[in-house]
Amino acid sequence: MSKPKVCESYDRRSFKMKNNIVLPGQMVADRPVRLPYCYVEKNKTYASVLSLLSEDGRLVPLCGPYEPMLDDYVVAYVQEVRFSGYNININGAANAYLSGRETAQKLQLGDVIYARINSVDEVKSVELTDARILRGGKLIETDAVKIPRIIGKKNSMIGMISTATGCEIYVGRNGYIWVSEKGNAKLAIETIKMVEAQAHISGLTDRIKAHLDSQKTAPAAN
Amino acid sequence: MAKEKPQLIIDGKRADGRSMEDLRPIKITAHVLNEAQGSALVEWGNNKILAGVYGPRECIPRHDASPYRAVVRCRYTMAPFCSLEEHGRSGPNRRSHELSKVIREAFENVIISEAYPRTQIDIYMEVLQSDGGTRCAAITAAAVALADAGIPMKDLVCAVAVGKIDGQVAVDFSKDEDNYGESDMPIAIAPRNGDVLLFQMDGNLTREELSNALEMAYRACAKVSALQAAALKAVYDGPKPQASLVLGNKQ
Amino acid sequence: MEIIKELKKDALKRILLQGKRQDGRHMYDYRPISIQKNAIPNAEGSALCHLGNTQVIAGVKFDVATPFSDRPTEGILSTGCELVPLASDSFEPGPPSPESIELARVVDRGIRSSGCLDLKSFFLEEGKVLALYIDLYVVDYDGNFFDAASLAAMAALTCTRMPKVEEQKIIRTESTGTLALNGKAVTCTFAKVDDHKLLDPSVDEERGMDGRLTIATTGGNVCAMQKGGWGAFTKKDILELVDISFERSKELCSLF
Repeated sequence: MSKPKVCESYDRRSFKMKNNIVLPGQMVADRPVRLPYCYVEKNKTYASVLSLLSEDGRLVPLCGPYEPMLDDYVVAYVQEVRFSGYNININGAANAYLSGRETAQKLQLGDVIYARINSVDEVKSVELTDARILRGGKLIETDAVKIPRIIGKKNSMIGMISTATGCEIYVGRNGYIWVSEKGNAKLAIETIKMVEAQAHISGLTDRIKAHLDSQKTAPAAN
Repeated sequence: MAKEKPQLIIDGKRADGRSMEDLRPIKITAHVLNEAQGSALVEWGNNKILAGVYGPRECIPRHDASPYRAVVRCRYTMAPFCSLEEHGRSGPNRRSHELSKVIREAFENVIISEAYPRTQIDIYMEVLQSDGGTRCAAITAAAVALADAGIPMKDLVCAVAVGKIDGQVAVDFSKDEDNYGESDMPIAIAPRNGDVLLFQMDGNLTREELSNALEMAYRACAKVSALQAAALKAVYDGPKPQASLVLGNKQ
Repeated sequence: MEIIKELKKDALKRILLQGKRQDGRHMYDYRPISIQKNAIPNAEGSALCHLGNTQVIAGVKFDVATPFSDRPTEGILSTGCELVPLASDSFEPGPPSPESIELARVVDRGIRSSGCLDLKSFFLEEGKVLALYIDLYVVDYDGNFFDAASLAAMAALTCTRMPKVEEQKIIRTESTGTLALNGKAVTCTFAKVDDHKLLDPSVDEERGMDGRLTIATTGGNVCAMQKGGWGAFTKKDILELVDISFERSKELCSLF
């Protein structure tokens, strides 16, 4: 599929952050294209969400709710125990359902799990499978749209944080992240929050690496 | 004894020195609250309006939910301390119910609600200080709050009031101009295609005056729209800051 | 909501056993506090208080009113509160909830009992007095709206301008000076979780707490107290927390 022609008001040669922020209603292509976070009207394509126009012409949303997708891995918790399954809070507009048959362990109210979405229907009802319990640790909430940046290309960002802090980290596509108790959890959480706040600024990987390195020399105040 | 009608236009200028097409000073800040999904503060003349958005979230009561789209709810209220006059009553009154409805209908046009069936999106507008034109400032704030929440929309709605004072068509009325003018016409538009999404009018206008007023409204909305855009972009001018409301003098 | 309470309670208790709080504070530390006076110039007095991520606005308005029949020479102090749905997904629109009413009455009690306001000075003539309305507007809720609201209300009172009164009518565009205040009242709110006592609970700590105690002090006296929640405090707890309140009140008063 050829890339849509992007509106001339964006000078892509100088990738300055300010010029690349797109507002709802702003035209991104002068022909109808199916792009996420866009809509088509009278044969032109417009952005629907506040986003960043990346160098390769993709729209990266800066904010917004979690959109559950098939095969997403999520960190979630049990909100209700029902007769043959569980209602799970996945940080979405509605709870997901986990059938008792889809999990080997028996779950309790409040248990934090790592699971995979194996069905999303037209009204966005979600069903989960392959759930396993994450015990202890800390559950933090982040913006779901920042998760790709927190994970990084091929886990590069989250891997770097995990190694530097010695923490086991489970990142849910839904914005919930579980950090283990062992290791420097405080530094891990602080660093994740930094990535979340600076996700739209280039050069982030280097800054995060520098931050982690500077904390290594300081005593780990847990 | 009733207050005497003040002269609204003296020597071609309005009481505060503005010309007919000048807007009062407007300051818009996005992302000012921590809990709400999206938020904005609009300081328009002496008006201070705080808007916040929650959702899409589960629709309660369940029987109100639509299988096709998100239900949009709007609540416009005024704080008891907002007016320069007496202490007001808490909670909504007939005027705020009407405004909540027409504002909701304006946003229902632009929010892409089919993206979130069986959910609800709540828009809350709190008038902290009022000085004429609160509904336009409230709509302007709500649009920025919706964008700050990442709710998909076709456009960023903005609004302005136009009408007639002392026989002349003018834009953006202060409280006195609102009270003593000959006509008041708040308009909300979607800037991209110029669609009118909220439209109310009272008073007396000739067809020519109406036509002039509409043209003036579009020109004024273009200015407001630019301020909304700048407010949203400013949030991402560097690391995303902690949400914080700034209203008075720091101690 | 219940499930989140249990979830947070477990995590909360585990961290408290290690002698820490989730955000790294000590047991009797406040989150960062900042106060902005004159937030709403239309009101006779106003202030915005930031307490951590909690944000509360207080507005003060005067009106001429008929005094209460049992206090015909005294002005009226009336405190209202709105927990607007804007502030939290746990606040619902509608008539004032018991939580909102409790907050208004606790803040009112602190100010009234402290005697910082001389209600007799609001007397105008027989059958007419000044009524002072304090309205608390919680706009962002991350725990402890008690202390945030008390600070906002007290700060608003310190910058309240007395309106000119002519022939028993208020002329709002003219002022005769600032409201006379005799001292300040501030509150300190503590959460109890098992045997731990925490000052200035965040919303997570409130969700996991057993009980809450708010103590209002003015100068060297305790002037109001309120226990909330279903847990229990011991006699020793109360005296200990009163001592902490006296200590902390000095810092709080210096903020405005």
